[in-house]
Amino acid sequence: MGLEKFNPALAIHDLIQDLKWSVALREEFAASEASVLDRYPLRADERHAIETRNFLALYDMGLHPYLGGQFARLIFGNEAGKGATIAVNKLVESLQGKGSVA
Amino acid sequence: MAEIVFAAGAPHAPGLIGLLEAAPADVKDVVTTTYRNLADAIALAKADVLIVFANDHLANSRVRAYPDFLIGMAAEHRGPFEWFKPWIGCEDYTVKGSPEIAAALFNGMTRRGIRMFAQNENLKFDDNISVPVLLTNIAGSGIPMVPILQNCTVPPIPDQHRCYAVGKALGDFIRNDLPSDMRVALLGSGGLSHEPGGARYYFIDEAFDRWFLDLAASGDHERLLNELTLEKMEAAGSGGTAELLAWVVVLGAIGSKPGKSFGYTVHKDFKCGIGGVLWDMNANLPKQRAVA
Repeated sequence: MGLEKFNPALAIHDLIQDLKWSVALREEFAASEASVLDRYPLRADERHAIETRNFLALYDMGLHPYLGGQFARLIFGNEAGKGATIAVNKLVESLQGKGSVA
Repeated sequence: MAEIVFAAGAPHAPGLIGLLEAAPADVKDVVTTTYRNLADAIALAKADVLIVFANDHLANSRVRAYPDFLIGMAAEHRGPFEWFKPWIGCEDYTVKGSPEIAAALFNGMTRRGIRMFAQNENLKFDDNISVPVLLTNIAGSGIPMVPILQNCTVPPIPDQHRCYAVGKALGDFIRNDLPSDMRVALLGSGGLSHEPGGARYYFIDEAFDRWFLDLAASGDHERLLNELTLEKMEAAGSGGTAELLAWVVVLGAIGSKPGKSFGYTVHKDFKCGIGGVLWDMNANLPKQRAVA
């Protein structure tokens, strides 16, 4: 699973970039994820995949894998050897067939 | 004529800082030996400026407006960007920039038909710049740096031939546009095999890495350009291994030179093959090994 499905039109790319770039948005996402998602023109299946932490589905839609890895860290943890390892394992579990890892 | 006095390629895996302490002794030995040798070589070269090419990692631009090359023109480069700090596990750093050389580079590359973009504001640095800056003591050396973040992962990706052509233009710029007594260091930051964000996140292609290190050190650029295809790099780790294209830019600038590696190691927690090459800027190989 590489870059062959990449679809730059997906709104989730902007969501991930904005979350990376803004502490305030990350805090808001943690407190009220739905209100943040409401601001992005997400497809219905794209939003559902985000809400169910289904990275496999997001990659099938065309999420860029590098941003997919960062999205996993935004959700599950970003600290070296700790949350980031959990994030990697959750992501791999999803991509290797499990789908939703909510 | 300005002179390229240092040229090297080295990985920037974030684990090289945050996870190094917990790594096995033989792994630590290769990492510390590699970066200590590069740090010593940079210091010995007495460079006036260090130009670093590295994968941008989608850190600065949106996917629908993505530059292939983005020059950092700031007078001071600060890193890492806030969100990457716990991930890398490194201290904050500040490196002196060189707005004058960055501007000259931007203009010089434009005149040579190479489309680059440039930004006065501090770029967002993740492991791409932070790891080599800290492991080779750039921050402490006082050498001004010009970072150039490149597109190694957003299709269409400038391939090995394009990156080599960019490197040749860079070499021409250095030799003909910069002041005649200027000493320039070049670093390609990235690789070796890894697949960040992919289903094979923990995959490291040891055979590819050893092949690449030998080829990069051989000075045989014709073979390198024929064989180091995007397809081959993607097979060795999608979305990550292609950042070896930063090394290819450096190779284009220096021409055919032999290089020296300081060992190779793999460590699951790094999720990346580790090994660097320092090229001998005083050596000259037969012309047929270079690419015209």
